[in-house]
Amino acid sequence: MAGISFREVRHTYRPPRGRALLALEGVSLDVKDREFVALLGPSGCGKSTLLYLLGGFIPVEQGEITVGGKPVDGPSPDRGIVFQHFALFPWKTVRQNILYGLEKQGMPKAEREKRAQEFIELVHLKGFEHSYPSQLSGGMRQRVAIARTLAVEPEILLMDEPFGALDAQTRALMHEELLAIMRRAPKTVVFVTHDVREAVYLADRVAVMSARPGRIKEIVDTKLKSNARGEELLQTQEYAEKVDHLWKLVRDEAIRAQGTRE
Amino acid sequence: MSGAAALEAATTRAVTRPLMARLTAALLRALPVILLGAAWQIAPSIGVINPESLPPLSAVATAWWGLLMDGSLVSNGLSSMWEIIIGLGLSIVVGIGAGVLMAWYAPVDALVSPLMKSLYPMPKSALIPVMILWFGLGIGSKIASIFSGCLLPVVLSSYNGARGVDQTLIWSALGLGASRRRVLWEVVIPGALPEIMAGIRNALAISFILMVAAEFLVGQNGLGYLISFLGDGGVYDAMFAGVLTVSAFGFLADRLYLLLMQRMLRWRD
Amino acid sequence: MAGLAEAGRRETMLTALRVGSGVAFFAAWQLTAMSHVFSDFLLPSVPVVAERLWHDLISGDLLYGVLLTLIRTFIGFVLAAVGGVALGVSIARIPLVRWFFDPLVSVGLPMPKIAFLPIFMLWFGVFDTSKVLMVTFSSIFPVIVEAWAGTQNIDKYMSWSAMSLGVGRHRFLWEIALPAALPQVFTGLQVALPIALIVDIVCEMQMGGEGMGGSIMTDMRFADSPGVFAYIIAIAIVGMILVKAMEIVRRWLLVWHQETQTA
Repeated sequence: MAGISFREVRHTYRPPRGRALLALEGVSLDVKDREFVALLGPSGCGKSTLLYLLGGFIPVEQGEITVGGKPVDGPSPDRGIVFQHFALFPWKTVRQNILYGLEKQGMPKAEREKRAQEFIELVHLKGFEHSYPSQLSGGMRQRVAIARTLAVEPEILLMDEPFGALDAQTRALMHEELLAIMRRAPKTVVFVTHDVREAVYLADRVAVMSARPGRIKEIVDTKLKSNARGEELLQTQEYAEKVDHLWKLVRDEAIRAQGTRE
Repeated sequence: MSGAAALEAATTRAVTRPLMARLTAALLRALPVILLGAAWQIAPSIGVINPESLPPLSAVATAWWGLLMDGSLVSNGLSSMWEIIIGLGLSIVVGIGAGVLMAWYAPVDALVSPLMKSLYPMPKSALIPVMILWFGLGIGSKIASIFSGCLLPVVLSSYNGARGVDQTLIWSALGLGASRRRVLWEVVIPGALPEIMAGIRNALAISFILMVAAEFLVGQNGLGYLISFLGDGGVYDAMFAGVLTVSAFGFLADRLYLLLMQRMLRWRD
Repeated sequence: MAGLAEAGRRETMLTALRVGSGVAFFAAWQLTAMSHVFSDFLLPSVPVVAERLWHDLISGDLLYGVLLTLIRTFIGFVLAAVGGVALGVSIARIPLVRWFFDPLVSVGLPMPKIAFLPIFMLWFGVFDTSKVLMVTFSSIFPVIVEAWAGTQNIDKYMSWSAMSLGVGRHRFLWEIALPAALPQVFTGLQVALPIALIVDIVCEMQMGGEGMGGSIMTDMRFADSPGVFAYIIAIAIVGMILVKAMEIVRRWLLVWHQETQTA
């Protein structure tokens, strides 16, 4: 059971120099097991901060975040994370990157190698096992990052604008790959993005966040009933309406965010 | 909270409040040096460290005062400063000129730059004996040593700085009808300035090293000479005073130059 | 692999240019010497210096001097490398250590540390110990600074990924922090080695005895200008070899780094 619960989460950002800023204000949200939820909002609204709190990288000061009933206490392989700029270990090959989490889990060697190879093939990187990240394109690097995170089989997958650094074509391909992976082995996913279309396409529900200090403004159901996939789905009326609805919600917050930028 | 964490927290809280707090922060930053100074005074005084090898700070301070009063600090200090001013100054003038010319005129570049880059790792202090051969045991060889050591860093940074100037800026200026000469003075040199200034800062540090090294070897006068003279004579407290003086000069010169650099490059930020 | 072939061709062209430049330099030297604008004493001709260099080489004197200089330089450098990295990493990770050493390092960096040579001679005598320690004292600062910066500036998200994958606090330093900091640490080492050589030579010049610095000063005192020039060439070659060696080690060690890939 990997349901996530946020209760009245507040967070103050304290830079080493300068004033403290209220980043999040009373965020409450429930994510059901195996649900794909997107956190959508303008820059600076705190959506990434919320993700980092969930991941256990920043301590929760006020409010509560629980996973499967237990409060979050530091990072854990149960909450795997994928970052926008890949965060791969540059001195390790593709294979070694993916093996890392498995080594940390104390998996025996033969099993590790087998599992790593499985995931390399899952993300279509067969043949690149011994390449270094610096030799790979952006899309390939992100696939390594995803494979590395998924290899330890986390119950929850956290994604921080994972396709933001990729060009439009690659991003579209990655969307399909992600959905295919999720169909094979469903997980609870919390996905941060500022791209409305991406949110509607990928997520079951989208939580729209306000400009700083971030709150949940509205939660919209985006599970598309259509049986169409890919290109076709993007052409449907259903999709267009959802995107429009969400865009209106986000637009006001985006304008507000522009105004408060210092 | 651990002691270190409490200290960090205190420092952080301090800097977010005005003057009193900033003074506290400055004091905290200086504290390690103060503690070291205190240790320097106490350890030799109570005999933990042999006071012959490390005279207590008070003895060094007294000796420093003595050097100041009898004029040796001032006269040798001026001599050293003069060497650096001339040696470094010449290297800056020649260096910037050569570096920018190399970057601007391709044939000069092709011929000279591989040589420059190969000579870079050469230990410049090894040229001191040649300078002595050429200029004898006087201020000339010291200045020549400083010049030869500082030249290359200035040339290289001027060269890299000039080459690094955005091509589109140069083309725009040429397109607007400026002559090549004007573009050189009004676009390339200002554009290269940050890197040139960084190279000069580097050369400044080198000039101090070569000044001291040359004075050790050539003698005659200067702070380096003073230090080794006092050392040979067994006047150790004054010797320490001399070392501290030279070190302080090197540090101050760097900090003053940094201020100058920041003022001159104000437009960058 | 086309990139590698292109890089190879560029390297060959660069080497050719360097050789050409060197030839031009020696040609200019020889022409100036032959024109007798300066006396034979001030500027001995290239063949005279070359002959002297060859003579010292086959007599073994040169190699012996080079060996002594290199040994002292290396020992001092290794001490600076180990100490500098340990200190730099500690400064980055332990607030108390940082509080203590931060002002010391920033004050110490621009000081002409060679000025401390008489102090080292007082404390450690006029033999190898003081030379080696002086080398260490002078070359440790760039290592500390780069090791500190490299460890401090590790990509936050990469660290978090490692933590999320289950790395413990103790393993983190060796498995993640040090490899990530290696490029910058190695840069510090690359800056420190030429400094080590310079400082060692100055110490040898000041203290005399055997080694390249001592030999060059002896030749100078005997007004043996071909000898002086020969030693300068030898020192320059040693310096170039050391720098080149470091570059080769860097390329091997950091084969994964993007700079190696895009070279």
